[in-house]
Amino acid sequence: MTGQGIAGTGGLAACYAGLLTGALLVLAVLIIISIIRSVLGPGISDRIIAVNMTGTMIIMMIAILSVFLDENYLVDVCLIYAMISFLGVVVLCKVYTGVFLQRKHMRANLEAIDDNLHHQDTDIVEVVEKEETEL
Amino acid sequence: MTWEWIRLIGSGGCLLIGMIFMILAVFGVNRFHRALNRMHAAAMGDTLGILFVFLGLMLMRGWSMDSLKLLLVILFFWIASPVSGHMISRLEVMTDEHLGEMMVIHREKKPGENQESEEKGKEKQHETV
Repeated sequence: MTGQGIAGTGGLAACYAGLLTGALLVLAVLIIISIIRSVLGPGISDRIIAVNMTGTMIIMMIAILSVFLDENYLVDVCLIYAMISFLGVVVLCKVYTGVFLQRKHMRANLEAIDDNLHHQDTDIVEVVEKEETEL
Repeated sequence: MTWEWIRLIGSGGCLLIGMIFMILAVFGVNRFHRALNRMHAAAMGDTLGILFVFLGLMLMRGWSMDSLKLLLVILFFWIASPVSGHMISRLEVMTDEHLGEMMVIHREKKPGENQESEEKGKEKQHETV
Protein backbone atom coordinates (compact mmCIF):
# COMPACT_ATOMS: atom_id res chain seq x y z
CA MET A 1 0.00 0.00 0.00
CA THR A 2 2.76 2.41 0.86
CA GLY A 3 4.85 4.00 -1.84
CA GLN A 4 2.37 3.36 -4.62
CA GLY A 5 2.28 6.93 -5.82
CA ILE A 6 5.97 7.03 -6.55
CA ALA A 7 7.35 6.31 -9.99
CA GLY A 8 9.75 3.43 -10.41
CA THR A 9 9.93 -0.07 -9.11
CA GLY A 10 12.05 -2.11 -6.76
CA GLY A 11 15.04 -0.32 -5.28
CA LEU A 12 13.97 3.14 -6.40
CA ALA A 13 10.57 2.92 -4.70
CA ALA A 14 12.25 1.61 -1.56
CA CYS A 15 14.61 4.61 -1.60
CA TYR A 16 11.67 7.04 -1.88
CA ALA A 17 9.76 5.26 0.91
CA GLY A 18 12.82 5.39 3.17
CA LEU A 19 13.32 9.10 2.50
CA LEU A 20 9.70 9.93 3.27
CA THR A 21 9.66 7.77 6.41
CA GLY A 22 12.84 9.43 7.67
CA ALA A 23 11.38 12.89 7.07
CA LEU A 24 8.20 11.90 8.92
CA LEU A 25 10.20 10.61 11.90
CA VAL A 26 12.30 13.80 12.10
CA LEU A 27 9.15 15.94 11.91
CA ALA A 28 7.50 13.90 14.69
CA VAL A 29 10.45 14.51 17.02
CA LEU A 30 10.50 18.23 16.14
CA ILE A 31 6.76 18.54 16.79
CA ILE A 32 7.17 17.02 20.26
CA ILE A 33 10.01 19.47 21.06
CA SER A 34 7.93 22.36 19.75
CA ILE A 35 4.91 21.39 21.87
CA ILE A 36 7.15 21.22 24.95
CA ARG A 37 8.41 24.72 24.12
CA SER A 38 4.83 25.95 23.78
CA VAL A 39 4.14 24.68 27.31
CA LEU A 40 7.37 26.11 28.76
CA GLY A 41 7.42 29.46 26.96
CA PRO A 42 7.41 32.29 29.49
CA GLY A 43 5.35 34.83 27.57
CA ILE A 44 2.16 34.56 25.56
CA SER A 45 3.92 35.45 22.30
CA ASP A 46 6.44 32.63 22.83
CA ARG A 47 3.57 30.19 23.08
CA ILE A 48 1.89 31.56 19.95
CA ILE A 49 5.18 31.30 18.03
CA ALA A 50 5.65 27.67 19.12
CA VAL A 51 2.06 26.77 18.21
CA ASN A 52 2.47 28.44 14.81
CA MET A 53 5.62 26.40 14.15
CA THR A 54 3.87 23.20 15.22
CA GLY A 55 1.15 23.96 12.68
CA THR A 56 3.75 24.46 9.95
CA MET A 57 5.32 21.09 10.70
CA ILE A 58 1.93 19.35 10.77
CA ILE A 59 1.22 20.81 7.31
CA MET A 60 4.53 19.36 6.10
CA MET A 61 3.59 15.97 7.57
CA ILE A 62 0.23 15.97 5.80
CA ALA A 63 1.88 16.87 2.48
CA ILE A 64 4.48 14.11 2.90
CA LEU A 65 1.73 11.61 3.75
CA SER A 66 -0.19 12.62 0.61
CA VAL A 67 2.81 11.52 -1.47
CA PHE A 68 3.57 8.52 0.71
CA LEU A 69 0.05 7.05 0.68
CA ASP A 70 -0.85 8.33 -2.81
CA GLU A 71 -4.01 10.09 -1.64
CA ASN A 72 -4.81 13.22 -3.63
CA TYR A 73 -7.29 14.72 -1.22
CA LEU A 74 -4.68 15.10 1.53
CA VAL A 75 -3.19 18.04 -0.42
CA ASP A 76 -6.54 19.84 -0.13
CA VAL A 77 -6.59 19.06 3.58
CA CYS A 78 -3.11 20.59 3.77
CA LEU A 79 -4.25 23.82 2.08
CA ILE A 80 -7.29 24.15 4.36
CA TYR A 81 -5.13 23.44 7.40
CA ALA A 82 -2.74 26.23 6.38
CA MET A 83 -5.62 28.70 6.10
CA ILE A 84 -7.16 27.72 9.45
CA SER A 85 -3.77 27.84 11.18
CA PHE A 86 -3.18 31.38 9.87
CA LEU A 87 -6.65 32.42 10.99
CA GLY A 88 -6.04 30.93 14.43
CA VAL A 89 -2.81 32.86 14.92
CA VAL A 90 -4.39 36.16 13.85
CA VAL A 91 -7.43 35.64 16.11
CA LEU A 92 -5.23 34.67 19.10
CA CYS A 93 -3.13 37.82 18.64
CA LYS A 94 -6.19 40.02 18.42
CA VAL A 95 -7.80 38.42 21.48
CA TYR A 96 -4.70 38.78 23.63
CA THR A 97 -4.19 42.36 22.53
CA GLY A 98 -7.76 43.11 23.64
CA VAL A 99 -7.29 41.32 26.97
CA PHE A 100 -4.08 43.23 27.64
CA LEU A 101 -5.65 46.60 26.86
CA GLN A 102 -8.66 45.82 29.05
CA ARG A 103 -6.44 44.89 32.00
CA LYS A 104 -4.37 48.03 31.47
CA HIS A 105 -7.43 50.26 31.53
CA MET A 106 -8.77 48.52 34.62
CA ARG A 107 -5.46 48.96 36.42
CA ALA A 108 -5.36 52.64 35.46
CA ASN A 109 -8.89 53.14 36.79
CA LEU A 110 -8.07 51.47 40.10
CA GLU A 111 -4.92 53.56 40.48
CA ALA A 112 -6.90 56.72 39.83
CA ILE A 113 -9.42 55.72 42.50
CA ASP A 114 -6.61 55.03 44.99
CA ASP A 115 -5.04 58.35 44.21
CA ASN A 116 -8.33 60.09 44.77
CA LEU A 117 -8.81 58.33 48.10
CA HIS A 118 -5.41 59.36 49.36
CA HIS A 119 -6.17 63.00 48.71
CA GLN A 120 -9.44 62.94 50.57
CA ASP A 121 -9.84 63.17 54.31
CA THR A 122 -13.47 62.11 54.44
CA ASP A 123 -14.79 58.66 55.25
CA ILE A 124 -12.71 56.38 53.08
CA VAL A 125 -14.71 53.27 53.74
CA GLU A 126 -17.93 54.74 52.43
CA VAL A 127 -16.28 55.95 49.23
CA VAL A 128 -14.70 52.55 48.61
CA GLU A 129 -18.03 50.82 49.02
CA LYS A 130 -19.66 53.30 46.71
CA GLU A 131 -17.00 52.82 44.03
CA GLU A 132 -17.28 49.06 44.30
CA THR A 133 -21.01 49.14 43.85
CA GLU A 134 -20.54 51.36 40.82
CA LEU A 135 -17.98 49.06 39.30
CA MET B 1 16.78 5.11 -15.72
CA THR B 2 19.47 7.71 -15.08
CA TRP B 3 16.88 10.49 -15.10
CA GLU B 4 14.93 8.72 -12.40
CA TRP B 5 18.03 8.44 -10.25
CA ILE B 6 18.73 12.14 -10.79
CA ARG B 7 15.17 12.91 -9.74
CA LEU B 8 15.61 10.77 -6.63
CA ILE B 9 18.79 12.61 -5.68
CA GLY B 10 17.26 16.03 -6.35
CA SER B 11 14.07 15.42 -4.39
CA GLY B 12 15.96 13.71 -1.57
CA GLY B 13 18.41 16.60 -1.37
CA CYS B 14 15.57 19.14 -1.25
CA LEU B 15 13.80 17.16 1.46
CA LEU B 16 17.03 16.89 3.45
CA ILE B 17 17.71 20.64 3.19
CA GLY B 18 14.15 21.34 4.31
CA MET B 19 14.56 19.04 7.31
CA ILE B 20 17.84 20.77 8.20
CA PHE B 21 16.08 24.15 8.07
CA MET B 22 13.28 22.88 10.32
CA ILE B 23 15.79 21.46 12.82
CA LEU B 24 17.59 24.83 12.84
CA ALA B 25 14.29 26.64 13.37
CA VAL B 26 13.34 24.46 16.36
CA PHE B 27 16.87 24.80 17.75
CA GLY B 28 16.70 28.57 17.42
CA VAL B 29 13.30 28.78 19.09
CA ASN B 30 14.62 26.77 22.04
CA ARG B 31 17.94 28.60 22.20
CA PHE B 32 16.98 32.27 22.07
CA HIS B 33 15.57 34.02 25.13
CA ARG B 34 13.48 36.85 23.69
CA ALA B 35 10.30 36.39 21.75
CA LEU B 36 11.40 38.70 18.93
CA ASN B 37 14.58 36.66 18.45
CA ARG B 38 12.56 33.47 18.51
CA MET B 39 10.27 34.82 15.85
CA HIS B 40 13.25 35.25 13.53
CA ALA B 41 14.11 31.54 13.74
CA ALA B 42 10.47 30.47 13.41
CA ALA B 43 9.96 32.63 10.31
CA MET B 44 12.99 31.00 8.68
CA GLY B 45 11.37 27.59 9.18
CA ASP B 46 8.07 28.93 7.86
CA THR B 47 9.52 30.15 4.57
CA LEU B 48 12.69 28.27 3.65
CA GLY B 49 11.78 24.99 5.35
CA ILE B 50 8.38 24.75 3.71
CA LEU B 51 9.84 25.84 0.34
CA PHE B 52 12.44 23.06 0.24
CA VAL B 53 10.20 20.30 1.61
CA PHE B 54 7.40 21.08 -0.83
CA LEU B 55 9.87 21.47 -3.71
CA GLY B 56 11.13 17.96 -2.97
CA LEU B 57 7.59 16.62 -2.85
CA MET B 58 6.76 18.35 -6.15
CA LEU B 59 9.81 16.75 -7.76
CA MET B 60 8.69 13.35 -6.46
CA ARG B 61 5.13 13.84 -7.62
CA GLY B 62 5.97 14.91 -11.15
CA TRP B 63 3.97 17.27 -13.34
CA SER B 64 0.37 16.99 -12.18
CA MET B 65 -2.47 18.85 -10.49
CA ASP B 66 -1.20 17.83 -7.05
CA SER B 67 2.14 19.54 -7.50
CA LEU B 68 0.31 22.69 -8.57
CA LYS B 69 -1.66 22.52 -5.33
CA LEU B 70 1.58 22.10 -3.39
CA LEU B 71 2.88 25.23 -5.15
CA LEU B 72 -0.31 26.98 -4.08
CA VAL B 73 0.38 26.02 -0.45
CA ILE B 74 3.89 27.49 -0.74
CA LEU B 75 2.51 30.73 -2.19
CA PHE B 76 -0.15 30.95 0.50
CA PHE B 77 2.45 30.42 3.20
CA TRP B 78 4.72 33.10 1.78
CA ILE B 79 1.83 35.55 1.86
CA ALA B 80 0.41 34.52 5.24
CA SER B 81 3.58 33.99 7.27
CA PRO B 82 4.80 37.63 7.27
CA VAL B 83 1.32 38.81 8.21
CA SER B 84 1.09 36.48 11.21
CA GLY B 85 4.66 37.38 12.16
CA HIS B 86 3.72 41.05 12.12
CA MET B 87 0.72 40.37 14.36
CA ILE B 88 2.82 38.39 16.83
CA SER B 89 5.52 41.07 16.93
CA ARG B 90 2.92 43.77 17.56
CA LEU B 91 1.48 41.74 20.43
CA GLU B 92 4.97 41.23 21.84
CA VAL B 93 5.88 44.93 21.61
CA MET B 94 2.60 45.86 23.28
CA THR B 95 2.70 43.38 26.15
CA ASP B 96 6.40 43.11 26.99
CA GLU B 97 7.43 45.66 29.60
CA HIS B 98 11.12 44.76 29.63
CA LEU B 99 11.60 45.25 25.91
CA GLY B 100 13.99 48.19 26.13
CA GLU B 101 16.49 46.41 28.32
CA MET B 102 19.60 45.11 26.67
CA MET B 103 20.78 41.54 27.00
CA VAL B 104 24.14 41.57 28.73
CA ILE B 105 26.59 39.50 26.77
CA HIS B 106 29.22 37.84 28.90
CA ARG B 107 32.37 37.46 26.89
CA GLU B 108 35.73 36.30 28.02
CA LYS B 109 38.03 39.12 28.88
CA LYS B 110 41.25 38.98 26.96
CA PRO B 111 44.34 40.60 28.42
CA GLY B 112 44.90 44.10 27.14
CA GLU B 113 41.32 44.58 26.04
CA ASN B 114 38.97 46.88 27.89
CA GLN B 115 35.60 45.89 26.55
CA GLU B 116 33.63 45.85 29.78
CA SER B 117 33.51 49.58 30.35
CA GLU B 118 32.19 50.13 26.84
CA GLU B 119 29.39 47.63 27.36
CA LYS B 120 28.43 49.24 30.65
CA GLY B 121 28.34 52.63 28.97
CA LYS B 122 26.06 51.31 26.28
CA GLU B 123 23.79 49.72 28.87
CA LYS B 124 23.45 52.94 30.85
CA GLN B 125 22.77 54.86 27.69
CA HIS B 126 20.03 52.45 26.79
CA GLU B 127 18.44 52.56 30.21
CA THR B 128 18.01 56.29 30.10
CA VAL B 129 16.11 56.15 26.83
